[in-house]
Amino acid sequence: MRSMRTALVLAAVAVLGFGPAAAQDVIKIGAIGSLSGGGTAWGLAIKRGAEIALDEVNAAGGVKVGDKTYKVELVMYDDQYTGQGGKNAAERLVHQDKVKYIIGPIGSGPVVSTIAVSTPEKVLVLSNGYTPTILRNEFKAAYNFRFTLTNLEYAPNMMKWVKENLKLKKVGILVPNDAIGQSVAPALIKLYKESGIDVVADFYERGSKEFSPLITRMMAAGIDGFDINFNAPGEAGLMVKQARQIGFDKVIFQMGGPSVPEIIEVAGKQAEGFISYEMFDFDAPTAQPLVKAYRAKYGAGIINSQTPAFYNATKVLIEAMRRAGTIDDTTKLRDTIEKIEGYDAGVYGPLKWTGKEIYGVDHQVKLPFFIVEVKDGKAVSRATLTMD
Amino acid sequence: MLTNTTILGQIVVNGLNLSAVYILVALGFTLLFGIMRVVNFAHGEFAMLGGFAFYYLYAVLHVPWLLAVVLGAVAVAGPSLILEWLVFRWFYHKMFQSMIGLLGLSLVMTYTSLLVWDVFERNVPSAFDSILRFQGVIIPMDRLVTIGVSLAALGAFYFLMVHTKIGLAMRAAAQDVEIALTQGIDARKIYRWSFFVAVFLAALAGALYGQIYAVSPFMGERPLFVAFIVVILGGMGSIPGAALGGIILGFTESLLGTLYGGSVASYASFGIVILLLIFRPWGLLGTRE
Repeated sequence: MRSMRTALVLAAVAVLGFGPAAAQDVIKIGAIGSLSGGGTAWGLAIKRGAEIALDEVNAAGGVKVGDKTYKVELVMYDDQYTGQGGKNAAERLVHQDKVKYIIGPIGSGPVVSTIAVSTPEKVLVLSNGYTPTILRNEFKAAYNFRFTLTNLEYAPNMMKWVKENLKLKKVGILVPNDAIGQSVAPALIKLYKESGIDVVADFYERGSKEFSPLITRMMAAGIDGFDINFNAPGEAGLMVKQARQIGFDKVIFQMGGPSVPEIIEVAGKQAEGFISYEMFDFDAPTAQPLVKAYRAKYGAGIINSQTPAFYNATKVLIEAMRRAGTIDDTTKLRDTIEKIEGYDAGVYGPLKWTGKEIYGVDHQVKLPFFIVEVKDGKAVSRATLTMD
Repeated sequence: MLTNTTILGQIVVNGLNLSAVYILVALGFTLLFGIMRVVNFAHGEFAMLGGFAFYYLYAVLHVPWLLAVVLGAVAVAGPSLILEWLVFRWFYHKMFQSMIGLLGLSLVMTYTSLLVWDVFERNVPSAFDSILRFQGVIIPMDRLVTIGVSLAALGAFYFLMVHTKIGLAMRAAAQDVEIALTQGIDARKIYRWSFFVAVFLAALAGALYGQIYAVSPFMGERPLFVAFIVVILGGMGSIPGAALGGIILGFTESLLGTLYGGSVASYASFGIVILLLIFRPWGLLGTRE
């Protein structure tokens, strides 16, 4: 009996990784994302994107840094899609787990509070998040990079495309009547007005699911296009469905999001012809290895288009370790990441940095983006745009 | 550009549809208050369970639509009698205690559902996605069916209350429990019946709500909120009041929302409620205490 128990304890110790030999050769990479609440799909995108990248590294025997080879391992905490959650997760990773690099999070609140904790400790953060202060801040974004585009990057050229292809005179937008809506609406209205497109804007109460009266009102005002803008997937889907149900037969599109698969699910047949901004083209030949790895590990189901962004970020981090020859000196790692332009992780083509003009620092990734249209219940790529 | 007639037509269609769902949501809420004097804060959660039951029956098991709606409501109302025995019966005729107790129950139900079903919204595939056009007014078929089912439920409920013995007993208990008891009415039996009917209506409303919008553990918040406004408008415990309140709220939202926008519509709905609470706190058709 006793030997049995001893064996169990030893097994447990080995499994938990307390074995002295195992601990030395493993690099712990932190991750933060929403694993509960409304942002769960995005948290899973971070987790899965990073895991697929790390699986590749481990399958190839690990990463060789200097003359030592390491296995890599992900340590992830939930931020509940809140600033406080992001702070708690970052503190655990930085002070308790002593990680040197964090993949994620997504969302302005969690990202801002994460970098407030990580930057003084010189911990690298490779994140998303739309607010400009993520890069334009008191730290001058000393140790963080953004691996996705924000509206500042994609909206100007998408607007140009919308103007040329949809030929709108008057567009309708619905925004929630809260802090987010109040801050998003004026910038969007300004952008439309500058492009010579008139705007009919209306606010709805958060939690409301019935938009028919408001859409009827916009139709009466003579809109010839309906922009779902930054509305979350659930509301966006209902807006598309209800607009079609009350007979709105002009174009419906989304200059934000993206949440095309979710909208198709909610609106069903009514989603036909819906046009949206999209971050990634899963039909492209270069996307297939990632799609295959995802299917093998996580099965069927929607692949969130944020997944490739964090796969990319993780691969860039590993490549930087290899090139810099260090896993501890994050200043050297940061400088290496800044100079890593041209490295191709396989999903987006050669990496490019930008951002100096807007944020004062070239820590903003430069990516192509897509316009998709729903045809026969499936998102079909309509145009590939760049930031230039 | 829409013409004035079609806008007016659209306002009526939207208003009818909103009213139908609102009445259905409020009926069960007002019934429990009228007979047992409990303020059922868990009302929205029964609607939520109705939404999930319908989702599984219709979207997963492919039971025919109407059968799924009714069966789903029965599947929630039947087992809910256990909750009646465990929790509700201790709060009958204790209005304030019931508010706190059932608020707690509502949280337990919401977060248990969260553990079971996770937070994301599920969509019920559209059962009727055709669109009727009549003189320029557009009527989505699924909304028309909702109105139809609500009317049928209202009719059946009216029949139960007015033309059956159990309905008569329920009304007697609502008017004065002690007198009803002396007439040989079994109060426990009446309470259980009323509870079953109230939960059935809530679950039915939840199924229709889930069909039009989406099903999720938090979907009960909005129906509860609506039930409160409707019942305060019509008068706590008054069944014709619930119908009138539902129509007023539905048409206020549709009319003002279309003419003046969303903020004005919510502003006016609450404005009416506040005015009513000041000048006629027992509601339009309620009885003065």
